[in-house]
Parts: sequence; C-alpha cells; structure tokens
Amino acid sequence: MNAPAMNPDLQFSQSSLQDFVDCQRRFQLRYLLRLAWPAVESEPVMENERHMRLGAQFHQMIHQHLLGVPSERLANMLHDEILLGWWENYQAFLASDLGQALNAGQPTEFTHLHPEIGLASASLGCRLVAKYDLIVHTPSGKILIFDWKTSRHRPKRTSLSERVQTRLYPYLLVQAGAHLNAGQPIHPSQIEMIYWFANFPEQPESFPYDDRKYAADEGYINDLLAQILHKNAAASPLPGSQFPLTSDEKRCRFCAYRSLCDRGVQAGTVDLMDLDDEDTTIPITLDLEQIGEIEF
Amino acid sequence: MSTLNAAQRSIVKKPANTSVFLEGPAGSGKTTAGIARLQHLLNAGVTGSSILILVPQRTLGAPYADALRNPGLPPGGLPSLLTVGGLAQRMVELFWPLAAEAAGFAYPNQPPIFLTMETAQYYMARLVQPMLEEGAFDGVTIERNRLFSQILDNLNKAAVVGFPYTEIGPRLKSAWSGEPTQLRIYEDAQACATRFREYCLAHNLLDFSLQLDVFRQYLWPNASCHTYLLETFQHLIYDNIEEDTPVAHDLVQDWLPHLRSALLIYDSEAGYRSFLGADPQSAYALKEHCQEHAAFARSLVSSVEIQSLTASLGQYLVHGIESPGEIDPRPAIAYEYQRFYPEMLDWVAQQIAALVHEEELPPGEIVVLAPFLSDALRFALVNRLEALGVPARSHRPSRSLREEPAVQCLLTLAMLAHPEWGFQPTRFDVTYALMQAISGLDLVRAQLLADIAYTIHQGQPTLSSFSQIIPDTQDRITYRMGERYEHLRAWLLDYQHNPQAADLDHFFSLLFGEVLSQPGFGFHASYDAGQVTANLVESIQKFRWVAGAGLAQAGIPLGKEYIDMVQKGVIAAQYIQSWQLQAEDAVLLAPAYTFLLGNRPASVQFWLDVGSRSWAERLFQPLTHPHVLSRHWQPGVTWGDADEVEANQQVLHHLATGLLRRCRQQVYLGLSELGEQGYEQRGPLLHTYQRVLQGLVNQFEQGEG
Repeated sequence: MNAPAMNPDLQFSQSSLQDFVDCQRRFQLRYLLRLAWPAVESEPVMENERHMRLGAQFHQMIHQHLLGVPSERLANMLHDEILLGWWENYQAFLASDLGQALNAGQPTEFTHLHPEIGLASASLGCRLVAKYDLIVHTPSGKILIFDWKTSRHRPKRTSLSERVQTRLYPYLLVQAGAHLNAGQPIHPSQIEMIYWFANFPEQPESFPYDDRKYAADEGYINDLLAQILHKNAAASPLPGSQFPLTSDEKRCRFCAYRSLCDRGVQAGTVDLMDLDDEDTTIPITLDLEQIGEIEF
Repeated sequence: MSTLNAAQRSIVKKPANTSVFLEGPAGSGKTTAGIARLQHLLNAGVTGSSILILVPQRTLGAPYADALRNPGLPPGGLPSLLTVGGLAQRMVELFWPLAAEAAGFAYPNQPPIFLTMETAQYYMARLVQPMLEEGAFDGVTIERNRLFSQILDNLNKAAVVGFPYTEIGPRLKSAWSGEPTQLRIYEDAQACATRFREYCLAHNLLDFSLQLDVFRQYLWPNASCHTYLLETFQHLIYDNIEEDTPVAHDLVQDWLPHLRSALLIYDSEAGYRSFLGADPQSAYALKEHCQEHAAFARSLVSSVEIQSLTASLGQYLVHGIESPGEIDPRPAIAYEYQRFYPEMLDWVAQQIAALVHEEELPPGEIVVLAPFLSDALRFALVNRLEALGVPARSHRPSRSLREEPAVQCLLTLAMLAHPEWGFQPTRFDVTYALMQAISGLDLVRAQLLADIAYTIHQGQPTLSSFSQIIPDTQDRITYRMGERYEHLRAWLLDYQHNPQAADLDHFFSLLFGEVLSQPGFGFHASYDAGQVTANLVESIQKFRWVAGAGLAQAGIPLGKEYIDMVQKGVIAAQYIQSWQLQAEDAVLLAPAYTFLLGNRPASVQFWLDVGSRSWAERLFQPLTHPHVLSRHWQPGVTWGDADEVEANQQVLHHLATGLLRRCRQQVYLGLSELGEQGYEQRGPLLHTYQRVLQGLVNQFEQGEG
C-alpha cells in the first residue's frame, strides 16, 4: 500500500467532525490521508446527484436574492418543478413571522444579513471553521443562524440536536462573530439556530442557545479535538495503525470506503438515510481559479 | 513579527488606511511582509471577511493559504484568497441574472455553464473539426489539441489585455513580416475564435475569456455587483502583481480609491507569465495610484556568492559585458562536462546522493530544473535517484490522465462493457487491462488469457468464459486467477444487460467500488489507483454536466463521445493536480518556470540541459503571439527577427536571475555535449555561463598571478 502523506493543513469543520463521530476510520481516510476513493456512496446515484445539484442551486438562489437580485428575475430561471416548489416555499416563508427577520435587514443592506459567511476560531491548536448559509442580526439584538435543508426527509429533532453542526455553529458564532455584533462579544443567549426545510416549510426546527449549552459544546468540541490529536499522534498512515472502524456497520453502506475496509460491495439506497442533502465530500477550501497552468 | 527586519516591520505597521506599493527582487522578503501585514490587520481587529488577497495564480497564493490555516490567527471572519479569474467567475455566478441578457446570451433565463479548460477544448474541437476538413490551418503541423488550445489562448489574451476578440486576427496579420501563407492561418484562427464565441453565447457557455469579459464589461459597472464588492472587501493585499494581466490591473486601479488599505507587491525583473498575458508594465503603473512607496533591495535568501553570480549573469545578459563583482561566485557553482546525456544524468544523481547522504542536506532543499521535463527525463532521473536511495518527486503543472495505467485499464473495460459503442481494443490493451485489474495476474498469464478469451465477434469485443478454456491452459493461468477473471467478466456482462445502464462516470464508480477495489483485484488498497480513478470520474462528470444534455439530444452516448475525445487527445490530455499533495521531503524535479511560479527557494539547484536553446526560446505557437497580443503592441509595427532575439535575451535574463534569486547556496550545471535527442548543445545560456566563468577566471586568477 502506497500511503499518501498525512494532511498538515487540516481545518476542522462540522463535516469532518461529524465524520469522526460517525466513523473514526472514515475521518482518518478522508481528512488526514485525503484519500480519494470514488466508489458510489448511495443509490440511486444519478437521482441523488440531481437532488444535490438542485440543493446547491437553491442555496445560490437564496444567496442571490439576499444580495439584491430581484425575485422575479430569479423566478424566471426556474425550470425545474422541484426547485420551483422550494422557491415558492421560500417566498411563503419570507412572509411568515420567522421569515420577517430576513426582510428586516432589507435585501441590499448587508449590515444585518450575512449570507454565505465563513467564521474561524481555534481550540487546542486546531483551526475550527464553519460556513453559514445565513446569519441575521435582528433589530431586537437576536442573532439567528439559518441553515437551509433540502433533504427529502424531515429529520427528527433529536437527530438534529445530536449533529455536530447544531453544536459547532452557535459555539463558533460566539467565539468568532463579534464583528457581526458591532464589535461586541456575542452572548450565547442572543443566538438561535434554525433549520428550515424546503420540503417542509412550515416545520422549521429551532435551537435556542444559552450559557449552559455553550459550555457543554465547548467541552464536547474540545473533547473531539483532543481525541483526534491523541489518535493522530499515535497513528501512522500505515496499515495496522488505523483509527477504529464504526461499530454501526449500517453506516458502511453509505460510505465510499467500504471496499477498503472490507465492509461490503454495494451502496445502500438513499431512502434509509436521515439527512440526504449534505455534500460532505467537499471540505472548505480556499477558492483559487486560474487561466490554466500549461506545461512549459 | 520578531523575525522580521526593520524594512518589513515598517510595511507591516503601516496604518490601516493607507495604500502601499512595495517593490523588490525575489527573495527580498516581500511576501513574508505581506503575510505579516495580513496577520497584523487581523490582530488589529480588522474583520477577516473584509480582506481580499489577490494573486495571479494559485501557486503564488500558497504562502497565504498556509498562513490562513494557522490556528494562531485571531477568531473572526475568513479572508478571501482569489485570482481575478476566480473573482470574475464568482461574480458571474452570483449576478448572472443582471448581466446575461445585456452580454448577449441566448438564454438569459437559463443558468450559465462554466467551461473548464478541458470542456472548452472539447467544444473548440467540435467547432474547428469541420473547418479543418475544409482545409483550414493547412500547413500547420502541431498536434490538434495544441491548435485548439492556442485559439482559446487568443481569446484569453483578448480578454485579459482588454481588446475585442474580433481584433485577434487583424493584429496578428498586421504584425507579420514572413511568408504570406501565414496570413491565412491567422485568418483561420480568427474565424475559429469568432465561431467559438458565437457558439458560447448561443448556448450559455462561458470559457475563461467570456467569464472575464462579462465581469469586466457588465458586472463591475453594475451597481449591485459593484456595491457588493466595494462593501465586502475593504482591505487588499495583492502579491506578484507583475504576473497578472492588464485587465486585473485596471480593476485594481479602479478599486484602490475605495479601499481602506492596500498593499501591492511587485517583483522586479519578473513577469514570467507574459506568454499568458502577464504585464509587468501595467503592474508597475499602479505605483502612482498608491499613497506610499517602498522598496526592498537586499536578498534574504541567496548567499553572497549566489548574489554575485546573479549580478554577473545579469550584466552579461543585459549589457553583453563580463563585469565580475568583488566577490568570487565560483564556490557557488559546480559543473562537469559529459559527452552524452545519460552520463550527465548519472553525474547529477551522484552529486545529489552525495549531498543527501554525506552532507546530510534534506532532499526537499534540492531542486532539479530543466526548460522542459519530459516523461523520459523524469523517469530516467527518478530511477537513478531511487537506486541511490534518494526520494524524488516530479512537479509538472499538468499530468496526462490518459497515460495513467489505471485509466487505460478502466477505458478498456468500458469498451468491453459497451460493445455497442463500436470500440475494438487491441489484444495488447486487453492484456494490459486484465493485468491491472486482477491482483496477482502477471504479464505472461494475462497475455495467455487475452489470447484465448478475447475475440471480436460480429464486430464487437467479447470475453469468453474461463470454463471454456482447456484444462491444461487453465492450470497455467491458475484457477485462482481464473476465478477473479470470471468474477470481473460476469460483472461486465451483468452491467451490459442492465437496461438502466449508467453514464460513464457512474459506471467507473460502480466498477471501482464493486470489483476493482475489492480484495483480489488490482485497485484494492491502492491509494494511487483510487486517486487516478477519482480524477477520471471527476473529468467525466464535469464533461457530462456541460455536454451531457446536448449529446443526449443528438442521440450520442456520452461515454462513447468521451472515450472518442480521449483517444483523439482532446480531453484527459491534461489534468491539473492538487499542488498540495506533494509536500514530502524529496528532491523536486520541475520545469524551470513551474519552479519560479511556485515561488519557494531551495538551497541547491541543478540546472539540466544548460546547452539547450529552449531556455531562451518561447514555445512554438504558430496561431498566437504574446507580444503582438499585448497591450503595448503598436498597430502597424511588424515583428521581426531582431525583436525575437531581443525578447529571447530578456526571457533568458529574467529566467536565469529569477532562478538564482530563489537559490540559497549552490548551483550545479548539468552539461553534456549531446542533448536528450542526441543533438549538439550550444544554446545561449551555456554561452553566457562560459563567458561569465571566463571573466571570473580573468579577474580572480590572473589578478592573483
């Protein structure tokens, strides 16, 4: 086995930490060794890909809308029924009590609405990063984190509450979001994390934040980082020096590395997945486009 | 901050409301100051998301990317690290509905389709092919894909320099002073560029040039986009501005008055990307738009001997005089003449091994540079170094995906699984594919298996069952191998008979996951095979996203078209690798320009093929011309031999001094009378070194006598 070098540039996101929680070996392969393993993750693959791309398009449309691109121009670009349905749900959401928060900032006023914003902080010598769909600073002083979900199933509250995202996002906002609060430290009780489901627009899930949760999340995240650092120090990329595989082998049906771990042949079907709209294969990267570097 | 010198500290501590133009040679600590300035701004409470770091290409952004991953940075928003091209694409994506109609796209209510280099080349090939059949470019003898890429390059030049793409042909023609037949070639190049641009507008396709044009002409002046950019980014750090293009400089010039702070960093005597439109002159013109000016002169990288050598070479290349300085640079130069090229490679490998094993120099501190890095040279040198126990890595900006053994195996298996596409792989291809696919199957048994089991039946490729082979031969192949072969064959047959057969990328993902990466097969636990297969899948996926709908409408199977284009060298000929993947401590083998644009110094440099003319000559590009298509070209002037000689001399000067400024201690010159192709080597770099060395002997030895 010709092992690639360990990744010296790792930053920790909700995706990578969630992978560590779900399967430490997958975390090691994907983020520490950066191992590309292009097996099918879940079936039906083409339908899933389409769903994922529509989800990305929907996120972009909301971003465009919040930057001031008129709704009618965006609506003209809708040619897919699923996307059209999501967009109509979003428009209805804007008229709802909760959606008023978005209007309060005015679409062209960027002081209060922060779409697609990234934040970073550090803990135990590790850099934590998050990219938020939208952060809204309301006139009443509340700070709302919106996360748009386009999954086909509505996850249960308990399932969402256990996800790393639900814990990391508010935590990191307290840590790194002072500039969104006129330079003043953000108090945990100002924050509310809201998942809004494009397929279930009237059933958003809200997670208010407070000091107790902040302290718990800090402990939880630091514990995860400490575990990773400890295991990474003890491991080498060679076989036999692996992070442990998940004990829940059902997860392996939705993991591209299953053949590497000798845990199955075929991918599972997406119906069995909880949140099916997350493209966890794309870590946060710095965006550098180029003309093209030709061979001299 | 404590490791910075006084000049660097003064840059770093400039107030957060001033614009600074910083210039100096490579290795004088400008980028270090830029990074320290970034950290200073963040530590001073500037919001990270309000900082834009611009670089001309991603390799030049690597030091900033590293700095941004530093856990020691204060918490806050994330600075953006972009090229102007990246910024343009991002803006086109976000504000498309505000620009599409005005820019002339046929379907403004449909999303834009961004072309990669590969997919742009694909469409160019489709559009140019009928013209080639009608006799266009008659007499041009370069490979087809290079022809397509030069037409795209012309469009890019028009976009980055800022002139209408319809002027490409007229400019090239007006500057031509040679054989009149070339004029028709330029007319053909213009016709192809026009046809391509019209096709893009008619189908919402955006290659790099169109992305930049749309951004420059329609979005930068658009109130929503303009306001967004001005409000989002209030601090700019723009490094290696001399490697960027005039349009990028225009943009920054417009932007400067609106920024709270700016640091523009100019590397003097560079401009290595001029063949891609880089313009040091328009970069330098930004100086007058900055409030403060600063210059670093002292090298923080090179030894005094290397600095002396740099000065001597520079004097000779610019003024044609041998003018040694006070310090004898000869201790920093090592060389030995060999007659044959392989002998020179032996000498180089031995010197490297001695440095690593005897002087304990880390291999990562050594680079081996050549004007070109052919596969043969790479192979020959890596093998020699491996035999001497020295780790080596090669670094080319592009790597041919279709030449990877794993890719060849996958493509052959795809042809076998899709007989209706009409491909008939050779017996050799099938042998090779089986050997790659089945773990433990050696060449002899793979050949035996292919000889017996592989046939063309009614024009279609077919694999017969292992059970049909006579027992004696089965014994020779072994039943274990036979079982694996049979498993692979059955999988391909099953797939073939599946009425919902997948697209080619999905097919490869299935084949990889369900067979080839399983125990007993060739890709199992092979990280390299996984990476290469992932690259191929990604290439096809991007191709499908761009061309899939059109091909489906035309009734052409996407997989067939993709493989056809691979075979013609149009796609999968290049693949941009992750520049982050090869960071290990190993000797780096790279083309000279690639090393320069990596912008990382090394202690010891080995220069190969010093006698080659390629150090000073630009690539043979019969369809384009970097000087004529630059902003400084005067209409009506012709480009003559004297211009070419002068330009080449300047190229050599910048290249040689640029390399030396990235060298700490020692340069080894690999000299052989006969080059890689067996021709005598008498290029201008060799001549320069000979004259400079002779001058040094005259000054330092005769003086002693």
